[in-house]
Amino acid sequence: MSSTATETAAAGSIEASKIYGDGETEIRALDEVTVSFEQSRFTAIMGPSGSGKSTLMHCLAGLDRLSSGRVFIGDTYLDDLSESQLTELRRDKIGFVFQAFNLIPTLSALENITLPMDLAGRKPDKQWMDTVIDTVGLRPRLDHRPSELSGGQQQRVAVARALASQPQIVFADEPTGNLDSRSGTDLLDFMRHAVSDLGQTIVMVTHDPSAAAHSDRVIFLADGKIRDEMIEPTADRVLDLMKQLGD
Amino acid sequence: MFRVALKDILARKRRLVTTGLAIILGIAFLTGTQVLSGVLKESIESLIGTSYQGIDAVIRSPEEQDLGFGQKIRSPIPEALVAQVDEVSGVRKALGVVETTSAQLVGTNGKIVGSNFGPPTLVYNWLNDPLLQVGKLTEGRIPTETTEMVLDFTSAKDAGYKVGDQVTVSSQKGSEKFNLVGLMGLGKDGTLAGGAKMMFFTTPTAQRLAQLPAQFNYIAVAAQEGTSQEVLASSLATALPDAQVVTGEKFTRENQKSVSKFVDILTTFVSVFGYVALFVACFIIYNTFSILVAQRTRETALLRAIGAKRKQVLLAIVLEAVLVGLVASVLGLVGGVALASVLKAFVGTLFTVQSGLPTLTSRAIATAFIVGIGVTVLSGLVPAWRSTKVPPIAALSDVAVDRSSVSRSRIIWGTLFLVGGTTLLGLGLADAGPNPLVLFGLGAVLFLVSVAVILGPLIAAPFSRFLVWPFTRGTAITPRLAGENAARNPRRTAATAAALTIGVTLVTLIAVMASSIKASVESTVNSTISADFVINSSTFSIGTGIPTTAVVEARAVPGVALASPVRFAPFRLTDSYSQQQAAAKPAKEQQSLLGAGDAAPPGEDTFMLGVEPKSYFEINDVGTTAGSPKDLLPGTFAAELKEAEKRGWKLGDKVPVYFAKTGVQELELAMTFDQNSGGGSYLLPLATFEANVLALFNTDFVVYIKTEPGADLAQVRKQLDAIVADSPAISVQDLGEYADAQTAPFDTFLAVVYGLLGLAVIIALIGIANTLSLSVLERTRELGLLRAVGMSRKQLRHTVIGESMIIAVFGTAIGLTIGIIFSFALSVVISADSPGIFKYTLPVNQLVIITLVAALAGVLAALAPAWRASRLDVLKAVSSV
Ligand SMILES: Nc1ncnc2c1ncn2[C@@H]1O[C@H](COP(=O)(O)OP(=O)(O)OP(=O)(O)O)[C@@H](O)[C@H]1O
Ligand SMILES: [Mg+2]
Repeated sequence: MSSTATETAAAGSIEASKIYGDGETEIRALDEVTVSFEQSRFTAIMGPSGSGKSTLMHCLAGLDRLSSGRVFIGDTYLDDLSESQLTELRRDKIGFVFQAFNLIPTLSALENITLPMDLAGRKPDKQWMDTVIDTVGLRPRLDHRPSELSGGQQQRVAVARALASQPQIVFADEPTGNLDSRSGTDLLDFMRHAVSDLGQTIVMVTHDPSAAAHSDRVIFLADGKIRDEMIEPTADRVLDLMKQLGD
Repeated sequence: MFRVALKDILARKRRLVTTGLAIILGIAFLTGTQVLSGVLKESIESLIGTSYQGIDAVIRSPEEQDLGFGQKIRSPIPEALVAQVDEVSGVRKALGVVETTSAQLVGTNGKIVGSNFGPPTLVYNWLNDPLLQVGKLTEGRIPTETTEMVLDFTSAKDAGYKVGDQVTVSSQKGSEKFNLVGLMGLGKDGTLAGGAKMMFFTTPTAQRLAQLPAQFNYIAVAAQEGTSQEVLASSLATALPDAQVVTGEKFTRENQKSVSKFVDILTTFVSVFGYVALFVACFIIYNTFSILVAQRTRETALLRAIGAKRKQVLLAIVLEAVLVGLVASVLGLVGGVALASVLKAFVGTLFTVQSGLPTLTSRAIATAFIVGIGVTVLSGLVPAWRSTKVPPIAALSDVAVDRSSVSRSRIIWGTLFLVGGTTLLGLGLADAGPNPLVLFGLGAVLFLVSVAVILGPLIAAPFSRFLVWPFTRGTAITPRLAGENAARNPRRTAATAAALTIGVTLVTLIAVMASSIKASVESTVNSTISADFVINSSTFSIGTGIPTTAVVEARAVPGVALASPVRFAPFRLTDSYSQQQAAAKPAKEQQSLLGAGDAAPPGEDTFMLGVEPKSYFEINDVGTTAGSPKDLLPGTFAAELKEAEKRGWKLGDKVPVYFAKTGVQELELAMTFDQNSGGGSYLLPLATFEANVLALFNTDFVVYIKTEPGADLAQVRKQLDAIVADSPAISVQDLGEYADAQTAPFDTFLAVVYGLLGLAVIIALIGIANTLSLSVLERTRELGLLRAVGMSRKQLRHTVIGESMIIAVFGTAIGLTIGIIFSFALSVVISADSPGIFKYTLPVNQLVIITLVAALAGVLAALAPAWRASRLDVLKAVSSV
């Protein structure tokens, strides 16, 4: 394993494989994927449906375990951790944003944002909280329940929650998938801002080339393998590459 | 549609069982007791049947008096009658029988064998005729000397005696020793046990122990070969016009009936708890179906969208209810048989029960199915009907979550129910209408339903939040989530809690009444009796009591100022008011008796106390009196003012009273008093009492002792103890102990009631567990999310357990409130009836314990669902729909 990769990276995987089923029905969702995500960078993961994007992300975020290989967050290898250590790691070091249903319906927006810290019994950093909340622009809505928020607002609360505990890295699996283009763009701008101005590290799965264009680097996945990557992407270049890979 | 419903059910087999569990328990209880009572009755009847087989006719006194609490006592007949009977044609043999409860068996450990609640201890004379004598000798020989006796083999074993031992027998004459010369048992070969403890003596000894000088309880007659029971009985009736003659068959049936009646009362008593359990089960079924219907909204809508009619949707759910009911009934029946077998094994230690498994009667089966399916379907109807209102468009909506809210119609209906229930309760308490008890019961149910089910949801949410509020300071998130989860579905929370509410209401009601009664007895004893010691007997059996010598000896103890004996006996008031009352009562069932009918004039049976006027009124405070104790001369009596006024008696009036021994006597009312200190409404000076009651009752049931000022109490007590030392049933108590002894029997009853109500609580717990399981299932995605953002398994478990505790405490709080309201209402009514006696007392400690137990029960109920929730696969949960 390359020690240099782990030192500068916020997270990554080394020859990570994930195999579902066995024998003839075996599916290699991840096939010896080695990748690392640098700190304070916004990385997008793209690829056709079923290429293993979500699987990779779940394994990196400690929500799922690999069949072989290793994943790490900072200098911690997840494969060695117990279930409860993984839970603590998710709580303290990782932020996660799903495509939908990110919020606990019985808690207010603010409570949802502070949930991981409340679970840890930690006091949120007031200044950082103010920064995050102002960036998301939800201050007047903090007391509202999720059911009283629009889909875009809900996703922004979810991103705010992911950032609130100042995690090592934030994973977002198609965070804009359920949003209209306007709300989607707002959310992406916000994430971009969190990386550029607040120094956060974000990894995002997306199908949308223009969403990917907000990132610093795009990784292309197909059949559980990394096929290509692109630095400083634009929507057009991403689209071109996708067409190319599709052939 | 049928196939859809069936598939649905099969896919949820486990839920089918947990939903049905409540019903299963209720049915098992109901059918179990029913089956058992059948077995018991049959066993007892056959036991009695074979025991009395050889008796062809019974001759007895026509006079019978009611002692209240189901006990009756018949006057004895003179010994001389036996010779007369022997002369009658068709009689092979006639023997006088002594059969009383006037002595107790004392075990080798010095304690009385048996309890006041178990089968009685009977004194018999051994009949020298194999057909007339009940049961058979199994060992040794029959008693021939006055110092010999025979015991039934079970009692001998229980008491620790074997043939050749000296057996201690305690009667009102004190303890005596007898030589045990033989053992006996029931049935043809003496191998059956009868439950009752049977002691056989020679006739003179039995008569002495039974206080029947030259008397018998009845005469048993065996017919000559070829003479039928009917012929024998009618010739006996002609020969003895003053006696009552019944055939042996009739006598057997009478005895069987009285025991069966006791079994019936017991069965009914236990069945009540089965019905309570089923009532509780209704809530659980209702709740489970509500949740299922809510969770299946999308599925239902989809069915509707593809063209299923409302009726079909309704049918599918009703079908599911029928199936749940069916399965539960079958399993309940199996449980019932199991329960009956266990109980039978227990009863079998008391007396011989038919061997083999208890068999299901068709009645038990019918009960199980009708009640099981009926209750399930009825409880499922409302949710089923609600499901038909799901519009097809709901298929397109996001999540299917039961978002019950509080509507205005709920408030209106709840208030209506509440007012209706309260009104009925009030009417019931005020003794209105033909059946106040039914009114009270109906009112109680309406009240409970309105508070628990209709109004409960109104307060469930604020209550839940209020309850966790103290724990949510700072960053504590699990209590907050638990509170919010309980608050999010107020209807569900309330309905789940309602099941517990019922049990807690009943427990609270009983606990408060019990503590109030205890406090009342204590305060009555302390405020109206100024004795220092009381000589008291621990047995209730008629004929046992304190030897009359005790009071004489007590007076001789240095330091004793007063020793006041009190006796007790039944009598019949035959004044015009009482005769009218008797006539207004429904006619007694016609008895096919030969010879004399009830020879006593009609009237009201009640009891009186025989007292020594001089000392009794020194020690007992009877309030304001008219007339004085000095006026209580022979031939007079004193009555409570309330009774005297009701009956229109004035001081100096002659009141006709019937006694079993002396017939109708005119007694002069010489004194009235207005405070009945729980002692009785009619007081007779011992001179009047002794002259008129049977020897059986001429024994003291309590003796009050007052010491001289400055007497050494410990020393006095020691000497009093010595007086009663050889009678294990009799003891010397101070006032505190005496008050405790008065309420002690109550504690046993309470323990039984609490135990049975435990069933309702267990069913309620199943309900909570069921609701939580369904809620956890419904919130799978949310729980997955919580785990994904870092909630530990432990925290998740605590959240679920917290929610459960909130539901449990909510149900308990309402139950406590309603229980306290009900008990208070009852106490108001009781106090109105007899002012100043009833002390309403809240047993705070017990109520706190009830609440803690409920909270703990909440934890127990949550264990399984919480564990399951914490084991959820995070990824699967997050991506579940
Ligand atoms: N629990 C599972 N059991 C079996 N196979 C699975 C499971 N989860 C994922 N797979 C398979 O693994 C492969 C990768 O799935 P994954 O969800 O990572 O794809 P994806 O790139 O996120 O696709 P999409 O863009 O549609 O979300 C797919 O072939 C999928 O069928
Ligand atoms: Mg995916």
